[in-house]
Parts: sequence; structure tokens; C-alpha cells
Amino acid sequence: MSFAAELEGVSHRYGSTAALADVTLKIPAGCMAGLIGPDGVGKSSLLALVSGVRKLQSGTVTVLGGDMARTAARRRAAPRIAYMPQGLGRNLYPTLSVRENLDFFGRLFGQKAEERAARIKMLLEATGLAPFPDRPAGKLSGGMKQKLSLCCALIHDPDLLILDEPTTGVDPLSRQQFWELIDSIRARMPGMSVIVATAYMEEAERFDWLAAMDDGKVIAQGTPAELRAQAGAETLEEAFIRLLPEDERAGHKPVELRPRVVSADKAPAIEARHLTKRFGAFTAVDDVSFEIPEGEIFGFLGSNGCGKTTTMKMMTGLLDPTEGETRLFGEELKNSDMQARLRIGYMSQSFSLYTELTVRQNLELHAKLYGVAPERRAARVNEVLAEFELDEIAREMPESLPLGIRQRLQLAVATIHEPRILILDEPTSGVDPVARDAFWRKLISLSRDKGVTIFISTHFMNEAARCDRISLMHAGKVLAVGRPADLVAERGAQTLEAAFIGYLQDALGPEPAAGNTDFDGARSPRSPLRQSLTRLWAYTWRETLELVRDPIRLFFALMGPVILLITVGYGISFDVDDLSFAVLDQDQTPESRRLTEQFSAIRQFSEEMPLTGTGDMTARMGKGELTVALEIPNGFGRELHQGKVPEVSLWIDGSMPFRAETARGYALGLLTYFSEVYARENGSADSTGVSIETRYLFNQAFKSTNAIMPSVVMLILIMIPAVMSAIGVVREVETGTIANFRSTPIRKIEFLLGKQIPYIVIATLNFWMLFALGMVLFRPPFTGSLVALAAVTLLYVIATTGIGQLISSFTKTQVSAVFAVAVITIIPTVNFSGLIVPISSLQPSGHALGLAFPGAWYQTVSMGTFLKGFGWADIGVNTLAIAGFALFYIVAAVFALRKQEA
Amino acid sequence: MWRSLLNTLRLTGKELRAIRRDTVMLVLIFYVFTVATYMVADAISTEINDLAVAVVDEDQSTLSHRLTDAIQPPLFKHPVSLTPAQAEQALKYGDYILVVSFPPKFESDLLSGHAATLSIDVDATAVAHAGNGAAFMQELLAGELSTFFTPNGSAASLVDVVFRNRFNPNLTSKWFTSVMQLMNSVTILTLILAGASLIREREHGTIEHVLVMPVRPHEIVFSKILANGAVILGASVFSLLVVIQWLIGVPLAQGVLPLFIAGTAIYVIAVASIGLLLSTFTHTMGQFGLLIIPVIIVMILLSGGMTPMESMPGWLRVLMQLISPAPHFVAFTQSVLYRGAGLALVAWEIAAMAAMAAMALAVALARFRRVLAN
Repeated sequence: MSFAAELEGVSHRYGSTAALADVTLKIPAGCMAGLIGPDGVGKSSLLALVSGVRKLQSGTVTVLGGDMARTAARRRAAPRIAYMPQGLGRNLYPTLSVRENLDFFGRLFGQKAEERAARIKMLLEATGLAPFPDRPAGKLSGGMKQKLSLCCALIHDPDLLILDEPTTGVDPLSRQQFWELIDSIRARMPGMSVIVATAYMEEAERFDWLAAMDDGKVIAQGTPAELRAQAGAETLEEAFIRLLPEDERAGHKPVELRPRVVSADKAPAIEARHLTKRFGAFTAVDDVSFEIPEGEIFGFLGSNGCGKTTTMKMMTGLLDPTEGETRLFGEELKNSDMQARLRIGYMSQSFSLYTELTVRQNLELHAKLYGVAPERRAARVNEVLAEFELDEIAREMPESLPLGIRQRLQLAVATIHEPRILILDEPTSGVDPVARDAFWRKLISLSRDKGVTIFISTHFMNEAARCDRISLMHAGKVLAVGRPADLVAERGAQTLEAAFIGYLQDALGPEPAAGNTDFDGARSPRSPLRQSLTRLWAYTWRETLELVRDPIRLFFALMGPVILLITVGYGISFDVDDLSFAVLDQDQTPESRRLTEQFSAIRQFSEEMPLTGTGDMTARMGKGELTVALEIPNGFGRELHQGKVPEVSLWIDGSMPFRAETARGYALGLLTYFSEVYARENGSADSTGVSIETRYLFNQAFKSTNAIMPSVVMLILIMIPAVMSAIGVVREVETGTIANFRSTPIRKIEFLLGKQIPYIVIATLNFWMLFALGMVLFRPPFTGSLVALAAVTLLYVIATTGIGQLISSFTKTQVSAVFAVAVITIIPTVNFSGLIVPISSLQPSGHALGLAFPGAWYQTVSMGTFLKGFGWADIGVNTLAIAGFALFYIVAAVFALRKQEA
Repeated sequence: MWRSLLNTLRLTGKELRAIRRDTVMLVLIFYVFTVATYMVADAISTEINDLAVAVVDEDQSTLSHRLTDAIQPPLFKHPVSLTPAQAEQALKYGDYILVVSFPPKFESDLLSGHAATLSIDVDATAVAHAGNGAAFMQELLAGELSTFFTPNGSAASLVDVVFRNRFNPNLTSKWFTSVMQLMNSVTILTLILAGASLIREREHGTIEHVLVMPVRPHEIVFSKILANGAVILGASVFSLLVVIQWLIGVPLAQGVLPLFIAGTAIYVIAVASIGLLLSTFTHTMGQFGLLIIPVIIVMILLSGGMTPMESMPGWLRVLMQLISPAPHFVAFTQSVLYRGAGLALVAWEIAAMAAMAAMALAVALARFRRVLAN
């Protein structure tokens, strides 16, 4: 018997948590092998190690005969493995259409256009997705997303297909169709091995071979029949519970549903009347009505995206319905009604408690916010801790807890204020059977003992069967409401699941017939270089599509630089004009007035009301109303006549040194001029005969904007490209699509360059827009070589997008990436790159820091080509330096990026 | 009312805990308020100080040597002697900002009663230093020339001017740049921290959880402003006292600290409100990042802290004073820290910042629910 994957003594830890503990397992090839067990037992870690997306810590993993610890072996194996990560459509790109997603995956495997087209056609027909090739993946239903994910995985005819919980969160009909699809594909490709992880024990019945896992260990393996026989149980779920170690199932008792005491003549706890919710043109919930009497457990079933969550949010007041109303205990629910909120406990689908608070702190915060009286608070928190068996872990952080316990904590938090109604959105997804049963016993006790009304959504049919009544929802509409047994009877079905499928089939109409599923085109061989370029292009093309479909990002990418050029280009100026000026003339002679006129005559000074005294000057300068004050003492005119040198005082507001110094320069010039004119008029000869000629080179008019515009281009072309590309890699890490990079044959350099190219193109476009706009608005002279500037600009934007790529490849979240870009680049480029202060006048530390970024080097080139007539000969060193930066950032990013997850 | 206040404080405590656990963020905050502030204050100066000067002396006379010797620190570096060709190259590559040229027979022409021209070539692309540098150089050379020709006579000028710089006697730009860098740090960090805190909660789904509780949106918004604002305010006071006053040695006017802290608090609130408002216009960090970078740059560069507000075109000056609290904060800071102005003198600036804070908050709150619903 051959094996698809062999694990030998494999252990894996995340920090102090052990995910896998010394696992030795041989997974048979050529069949459908399943890993069963609840969330958090190590199934996903095991599959990630087998597919090579996670780095092996200890032990050996041999997949398709290759040692996965070795890079070369992984590279050989990658084209033969397909990996579909956990989470509904998590490896899909929501803004890309069905066909574009498939195209992307085809390119990742270096396929030619014709081969891709043929394979996509075949896969779409085989899966029934053929009618919607142009629908964005984000708008597909959960079941369709999973089919598309599967198509993407199958695009390269893998020898080993790895599916991590492919059907979690999918409605029963889609689930059934999914497994039928897998069967038909296996019939066509008999050599293919499939490894599936699942938390649905019912599904595992159809697998050829199973390994049951618990707490990082394999507790049993064999065919489903063997496992049942080994445990002496009728179903796999029971078998699993029996196979668990003694201590874990100690607390397990079967769930008993006690009958509810119906109290008549009361207003229903929850009443939905014709609820409709539209988001734009999309109707999420369509005319939904139901009534839930007090104390009932009301189950809500349906696939992901069918409107369950939206309906629940309207019940809590989180969302306002577009039409219709919600009534709680007969009163209409209004969004601003704080009293109503005290009656509701809500538990959202994902874990939404604060991970930065301990278990007890979370409970205390909620007790306070829900207004539990201070004297009751401590007691209530302890009561809840005990009731939900959380007292032992009260000091722990929620993140370190297993999912089942976290869900229990969420329920505890939701009940801290003893609400009359509990609204629970898929509280048990991913929770193991034992913990799920414990959770349900809690719910039943709340309903039966305390009369709490419970509105719960679930995917598990055995949970649905425990509800007093259930409602089936599909595409925003309620298909059926009633007691589970009644619904089964009404459909004449064997099980609730079959009944549900029946209702869904009625709603959907006949399934589109699966077309021809044969594909005879073999893998067509291509040169490694062509394949490499195709893979690189896959990312370039996709990044471009995503950018084009995000209007907000596109707008700022194109218009941000323009807005910056206009505001900063006009705003940053060293032309100091209109300095407020006032005179304190204690002399009041023609001479003193004449001196004053010198100041008021030029536009650099604008004269204000004369000063009345020193006190007035202090006050006005203190307020900032006055920049320059001229004090002419008594006797000025007389002394001037007598040929003495009278003294005047010029007071300047020094709180902005540049302005003060410029004012001083102007004043000096005026006084010199005054002296000359006065001397000439009074007959004394010009003393020296020297004329000092000041020539302003490169910017004869000495206009600030001429010099500012080239610097502003430097500033804009570093900030905007860096922040655009900084989001690139880390966004994929946050959304999970990074799995495609990890599990396919693409190399790091192809991935990084592929993602960088669109931003280089945008940044180059930005340059030309800025250049054209700047020339029109500010009319600076352009004296140098435009070709040289354009070429250096291209290198510069490669470097600046590279900064973003580098930051993106080592930060963990988009927030920190944006933060890092802002802090790391703004300070040096604004201060040390020649924008305000010429580089030659910087102190050594600032000078060195400036040269450590490409901005300072580029500023010389842009300034030189604009104003100093620079051509290629003048910019050689700068060109080399900028090219060096570009190369350095790319190489550093390649080293910082990890192809495998730690 | 009381309840609302309590809720706000409770949520603020939660926000503070979140900030405390984010090590990367704390390191960046520390870096910005200490190292970066010091470095910028140390390296940047718009005042004329040690300006690089070259001399092309084709005369090599007593006079030309005497004038060359007169070019001295602190205003100028000791001049370097170059040939005309070298000087041209050097100006082109920005090695020197001023080049003084003495033509051949400069001294003999003058002594024989002919006119002579001395030229100062200025690299006018260095706009911050070129104009003032040239003016001072001209003044220096003129003075030196007149003492040369009338050694014991009266000064060249008929009027003697005493320059008195108020509030910053030596026109040290370190004082100015350090305080302005502090403002820049406050702007960058507050905008990003406040905006990101809302986007992060939306992305993690925790905001929904808070919204189903008996907590009103304004309590959430206030708590975010309060928590992030308190951290930034604390850091800036630390930076002002330790880095700016103690390390850099900027003397602060007596007793101005309470007023400065109060004004900074209002500025932080205004900027945080703007950050929150901007975050309601975006769905993802990617969008927020692209939106916030231009906002930061415009707020910093057009605040009057880099170049004077007077230099801006009138329309832009008015626009910035209407939409950005930064120009008001710069004016406030200059008045309070340098001029020792009291509350009465800066009341208008404080009122303007407070009005912007109120406006941004009002719009942010109005958008809050609508945005979160989608």
C-alpha cells in the first residue's frame, strides 16, 4: 500500500501551546482520507505541514515521496499538491469574478492561455458554476464559494488534494452537492489522493479511511466501520466521544430536552413583522415575519450569506430594517432604546470580546456597561464565573483559551445582566461535540429554568433538532417554520437534514445539469522562464484588478498626489511678504517720517497702526499681530542733521526664526538705501565706489515655487507609492489569501515583483501627472534633460514602492504597516531631503539620515534637471545610488518574506 | 448623564489597556517623541549659520584678502578658495550656496578712483538660505569696504540700527524646530492612532458587540479620543519637559506649562476627532492609509510651522485656517511658549481649535451608525 503522506514523530508548538504532540501517521494514497475531530485539536496544523505552507518544527513529513523539510523537495511537490485552506472562500479574491479567480490560479501554475481557458470551461461546467462566470466571488453564496475554491484547487490536476474543513458554514444541500462533486472528480481522476479535515462527523461516514484526533494526538484510525466497531457505537459522533480519553468525556451526559411550560396570553418575546433589509440593490432579508413566545428555543437555519446574521442584527437593534419592524415583548424596538438593550444578550458569530482583557475583566467591564448595580456586581461576576465553570481561568487572556471555552465565555458575558432574550449567532461553529453538548445543556437550563427566550442560528442538524421550533432560511426568505418533527413529517423525510434539503431544492428549482467533465488536454510543457513570467504576471494582473475595483483606493492613488502638489506647492514658500510692521516714532520730524516711509513703501512690509508706546508694542507683538517694530528715538532728525550717527531700534518677533531673519535682511537693505539717498541729497560723496552685484543663479527671479516644486515631487513620489505598496503583502496575510502564495509553486521574488509592478506603473503615471500639472500651475523653467529625469524617476519609484514592500513583508498587521511607513518615511523626507533646508546646510546627523533614504538623492536630480540644466553627465552618482536603493529594498524584502508560515 | 460619563470612562480604560499591549505602537510613539524630536531639532535650521561659502579671488590683493578674512563663523563657514571653473561646478552640485568673486585688478581700480564690481553668486535653488545669506554677505562686505576706505571715519551707514529680537534673542531655530517637531509628532500619531482604533474594531467585529450594549455611539467615540489623546498628551508633555527643555535647552517662559497643556489637549482632541471622522469614510486600512498620508503632510507642511503662513497665497491661508487646526496650534504655541502669552491673548486660537473639534465630532457621530451598519 502506498502513502500520500507519512508523518514521523511530528510535533508543533505555537508559543507555549502544543498543537501537535509527537504524531506518527501514514495517510494512504489513492483514496479519500479524513481527519476528524473538533476545532483546535491540530487538524489544520497537520494539513498545513503536509501541504508545506507551515514550517516543520520537529519530526519528518514525507509527501508524495519528498521530504517536506527540504526546499528543493517542496518546490518539486508544489505543482502536484492542491491546498484549500479553512474558511469559506478564504483563498478567493472577493472583487475578482469567478473566471478571473480561476485564471489567477491557472497562471500561478504557469499555464498557457489556451490550456487555462479549456480547463476553466471544463471545471465550471463540472461544478455547475458555468452560468455565472462573471459574478464577483464575494457575491457568491457560501456553497458556491466552496465550489469555486475547489475549482481553483483542481485547476492543475493535482495528485494530492488537501481540503481543510471545506464544508463548514455551508448549508446541507450545498454540502451534499460538494461531496457528490468530489466523488465525480475522483471517479475521473482515480489516482488522486484526497485528505479532508472535518468537524462534521456525519460527513466522515463517506470517507475511505479516517484518523480521529484529539488534543494534538491521533486517538484512532481505520475505516469508518472499524472505528464504530472499535468504540461499539452506532454513529461516528458517539464513537468519537467514546474514543476520547476518560477525563475528557467525564463531564459528558447526553442532552435532554425538557418540555416547555407554555404560558398563554402573553405578548411574544420577539416578533418580526415583514422585515426587509436592502444594501444598495442587494436584498439581504426579504419580508421575514415570525413570532417567538417567551422561553422558547427558536432555531434559525440556513447557509452563510442567506440573511441569518442580518436578521439577527435587526433583532438586536444593530441594524435598522429598511421596511418592517421588530417588537420585543410587544414594544417596537428602536435603535436608540437603551432599555430594550438591557433585555437582550447577543453573541456574534466571531469572537468579539476584548482580547486585551482577562476573562474576569471582560465580565466586569460588561457588568458595568450593562449597569449591574455596584453592590451586586462582584457577586454577579463570581456567580457567572462559577455557573459557566470559568472560575479556574478567570485570570487568563481569552486568546490563549480553546475555542469551546471562549464560546462559553461569550455566552457568560451575554448573560451577565440576566437578559430576557438571548440572540446567538452560530455560537457552536467549530466547537467539539463534548463542549457543544455542554453548551446546549446550559441553553436548555436558561430556557426551562429561567424562562429566557433563545434565538439561535446553527449549521448542525442535531442541534436544530433540539430547538422547540426552527425556521429555514434561504436567500433572504424564510422557507418554512415549525417544530422539527413536524417539518420532517411534512416533507415525508427520514431526517431533518433530508427535509431541509427538500425545502432548498424546491426553492432552487432543478439543479443545472452538470456538463461534460472530460478534459483531454494534458499538461502542456513550457520553458521554466515562461512559467516564471506567467506566475509573476498572475500577481501583477490580480493586484491591478483589485486596485481598479476599489474606487476609494484608486481615487487617492491618482488624486492624492495632485491634491498634495496643489496645496503644498502653493503653501510652502520662502517668499516672505506682508510682514506686519508698526512704528514707534518718538521724534516726529520729517526725517523720522521719511525713514518710516521707506518701510511702508515696499510690499514686504505692511504697515499697521503706529505704536503708542513700548507697552503697546509688547502687547501687540505678544499677540503675534506684529512682526517688526521700528523705534525712532527722540532727537533722531536733529542728530542726523548734525552729522552724528543716530540710533534706531528694530524689534523683531523671533518666535519664527526664518521670518525674523528675513525681516532683518529687508530692514538692513532699507536702511542702507536710506543712508545712500540721504547722503547723496546732502552732498556727501558716495564713500567707496564699489558696487556689489548679487546674482541669483538657476532661479533668477528667486521664486520659491520654482525651487519647491521639484522637491514636492520628490516628497509625493516617496509617500504615496510607499503607503500603497505597504498594504500589499500584509493585507494578504490578514485576509488569508497569502495561503495561495505559500501553497503554489510561485517564488518569493515573483510574488514581490508581481505585486510591485502595478504600483510602479501608478507611481510613474503620478509623476507625469505631477509634471504636467506643475508646469501649468507653477511654470517653473525646465532646463535639463527630461529623458534623464524620467529614467531616474522610474528608478526612484521602484525604490519607493520597494520601501513599502519591505515594510509590508515583516509587519504583522495593516495598521502597523501604515504606521511604520508614516513614521519611518515622513520624518526624514520632510526634514532631511532638501525640501526645507538645503542638504549641504544640514548638521552631520541629519545629513547622514537624509542620505540613508532615496529622497535626498532624488531631490538633487529633480532640482538639477528643473533648474540647473542637469543632463546624464551630472547625475551619474545619484542614479547609481537610487538604483542601489531599489535593488536593496527588493533583496531585503525577499529575505524578510517567509514562504512558509512559522 | 452620569451614566454616560461612567460608560465613557469604562471604555476609556479598555482602550488604554489595548494601547498598553501593543508593543510596536509604544516603541514608535517613544521613538517619535524622543529620538526623532531631538534629531530634527538638532539637524534642521533655517537660520543663517555656518553657510558654505567659496571665494574666487582673481585679484589676490590686500583688499581681497582682507575681505575674504572677514567672512567668518558663526554666520559663514571659513571660505574655500576656488578657480572660476571649479566655482561654477560647485554651485551646480550644491556644494556651496554663496560664491564671492573678486575680479582682476579689483583693488587697483578702486584705489585709482575707478568703479569696480564685486559679485556674489547665489545658488537660488536653496530658497531657505539664499536670500538671507546673500543679504548678510552683502552687508558684511559693504561694512568691511567702508572701514577699509575710511579707516577712522564714521561708519558707512548714517543711521545705526540696533536689532532686538524679541522672544528668541539669538534667533536660534532649534527652539522653533523642536517645538514644531513636537506638533508634527502629535499630528501624525494622533491621526493614525485614533483612526486606526476604529477601523481595527470594525475589522475585528468588536464594535458590534459594544453597539448592542446599552452604550451610545458618542460614548464609544469619546472614549477613543480620551484614551488616545491622553497617551499622546502625556508623551508630548514628557517630550517638552525632558527632550525640549532639558536636553535641547530651550528656555520656556515662566508658568506657561498649564496653559500649554490645556491648549495641546484641545489640539489633540481636534486632531483625534478628525482622525475618527476620516476613518468613517474608509472601510479598510489600505484605504485609510492612502487617505491619511496626504492629510498628514498637508497639516504639517501648511501649518505655519515649516514656512510662515504669511508666505501662502491668501486663499490657501484662509482655507487652511478654516479646515486645519494645525495653524492655530502653531500660533498658539508660539504665543505661549515663546512670548509667554496669557489665556486672553490666545483665546481666539483655542476657540478655533475647539470649534473644529466640535465640528469634526458632530459629523463623525452623525456618520457613525450609518457607516457601521454596512
